[in-house]
Amino acid sequence: MSSVLDVSGLVKHFPIAGQRAVVQAVNDISFHVKKGETLSLVGESGSGKTTVGRCVLGLIQQTAGVIDFQGETIGKRRNVRSRDLRGKMALVFQEPAESLDPRVRVADTIGEPLRSRGVSRENRRRRIAEIAKRVGLSDATLDQFPAELSAGQQQRVGIARAIVTDPELIVLDEPTSALDPTARAEIIDLLIRLQKEFDTAYLFISHDLSTVRYLSHRVAVMYLGMIVEQGTANEIFSNPRHPYSVGLLSSVLLPNPKLKREVSVDLTGEIPSPIDLPKGCYLAGRCPFATDQCHKEMPPIEDLGNGHLVQCHHFREALKGHEALDYFDEFQAQTEQLLEAGRRSTGTVAGQTK
Amino acid sequence: MANETQKVFDTGQPVLSIDGLNVSYPVYGEDPVQAVRDLDLHIQPGEIVGLVGESGSGKTTLARSVMGLLVQPGRVDTGTIQFDGKDLRALPEKQLRAVRGKDIAMVIPNPRSELDPLVTVGRQISNVARAHLGIKRDEADQMAMDMLNAVQIPDPDRRFKAYPHELSGGMAQRVVMAISLVCSPKFVISDDATSGLDVTVQAQVLDLLRALVRSHNTAMLFITRDIGITAHFCDRVAVIYAGEIVEIAPMQSFFENPMHPYSVMLLAAFAHNPTLRAKWHKPLASAAPAHGGACAYAGRCVHAEDHCRQNSAELRELAPGHLVRCHFPVERPL
Repeated sequence: MSSVLDVSGLVKHFPIAGQRAVVQAVNDISFHVKKGETLSLVGESGSGKTTVGRCVLGLIQQTAGVIDFQGETIGKRRNVRSRDLRGKMALVFQEPAESLDPRVRVADTIGEPLRSRGVSRENRRRRIAEIAKRVGLSDATLDQFPAELSAGQQQRVGIARAIVTDPELIVLDEPTSALDPTARAEIIDLLIRLQKEFDTAYLFISHDLSTVRYLSHRVAVMYLGMIVEQGTANEIFSNPRHPYSVGLLSSVLLPNPKLKREVSVDLTGEIPSPIDLPKGCYLAGRCPFATDQCHKEMPPIEDLGNGHLVQCHHFREALKGHEALDYFDEFQAQTEQLLEAGRRSTGTVAGQTK
Repeated sequence: MANETQKVFDTGQPVLSIDGLNVSYPVYGEDPVQAVRDLDLHIQPGEIVGLVGESGSGKTTLARSVMGLLVQPGRVDTGTIQFDGKDLRALPEKQLRAVRGKDIAMVIPNPRSELDPLVTVGRQISNVARAHLGIKRDEADQMAMDMLNAVQIPDPDRRFKAYPHELSGGMAQRVVMAISLVCSPKFVISDDATSGLDVTVQAQVLDLLRALVRSHNTAMLFITRDIGITAHFCDRVAVIYAGEIVEIAPMQSFFENPMHPYSVMLLAAFAHNPTLRAKWHKPLASAAPAHGGACAYAGRCVHAEDHCRQNSAELRELAPGHLVRCHFPVERPL
């Protein structure tokens, strides 16, 4: 399978007014996304996830590195704004309400990318109706304004606008974090279904690990502008090798009191400033396994096979015996068991007690 | 999360008793929106009650009613709010101000907007102590320093003199916690206080908050959209839907045997299993909750029958301390 997106050695530094120092938002990362595949970027806020997404679309110019979209280089001259690339890449935003024009009707919002590509009014109308149906928006909704819709429906409009041109790649920047759990689950199902129908590649940016587990083919864990570990979703969740990945995974609180996570990696403290990055491994100051070597040298990227890459000096011994139970799988199994067994009672109507 | 066996709270004198609370927002030219209806909630000293609901379910309205800080034009129609033997609704504003911030404190989300950008964080903490405890500045500053230590802010001497913009989100949230807890309140309301934080920081902040609350035997109402937090943090779980508590139970009992279809559906949403969710949830059901003569959840419930659409459901105790508002609660074989 060919890659839709190939990123190598991406660096993005933001200058600070009046200072020589720069914010090192992204430092030398490489990854690829294949056709019809979802790659998730996970990490804390400030780890550079969104910056990567924006560089990929060419909305901001990278400092160094090469971004190839379908074999063509994305940069200052060729990006999502270019006429022939318009509609081949799309973006879905975090805040559905804020990413829609409050004074434009839903149908026109969805049709805007078609209009900018010169599709005729009649064809637009047909395509909008078709897409609206696919994302589960009723005909009545099309004539409404964003403020009349719920957050879940607004996000459906955002998704409809992104897929209306049948793009090859969609960058989804935290599309579910502003939604309620039920709306979130519906949007995730919708995204998965649409990916199957259109064979679109997703670059999914999120800090919600339970969603990432469910929808990703591959996962890249970001920390301070670096990808510290990447691999298939199964590998990352059941066999994480980087202390940061383990720490991140064990911070997730699943709604099951029995699944108390063992805190094997306690990530105390907070993410250091990206202006003044430590020498050596960026995690050294927070990592319980850090040695002198970690504070002095940046670890090399090790290939564990099957596309599982990890950047840590001690990935072999630090987490030995931590062949972790995949908590998300375990949670899913237990919840399924619990909920499958449940059925609606028949005899107990108000007034009667059991 | 700290590994702690489930605490059992006796049914003595609750620190907070809410009975028959009705809150509404008038709408011009239409019927008022009933945000909270007939809500009863009793919280024992030292107990942490998690209140889970979607946006618009009335969580924040409830919290603000307790604090007497309801946003205009909202108003409490009926009901009593008893705190520590006092009827909060009957208290004059002046006395309420003495209670608020001292005996009842609130931790809100978005810590940066809560803090005054022009006052150092240490002063913001000590000002609260001075206002409520009538102590001297030196003493208050010392208390503020102790609080900064208690919430485990690194380098507290330096942070004491820092301004809010110099702090990260996690640290700002700790400062807000310090402000809330400096007067050793008997009751704390946390309104979605950790939703803006990263998972790693959230876990740390929750552990800390729980330890502090436990050590002072402070009761807490923990409002959240994330049902996952309640499983690791709370003693009791209450699920609110359309202004009504639909299920309230001790934490273990709730997660072992959720009985309301809505609670089940919330759990299914976390399990990311579409078939399972379809069993409990009508997708895209935007039916506005109908009240008065019907179960509020009937419009979204897969299993709703005519009976549900014609009779409102009452909260019934179906297991010890486990109350459910459903005509046909979920059963499982033991």
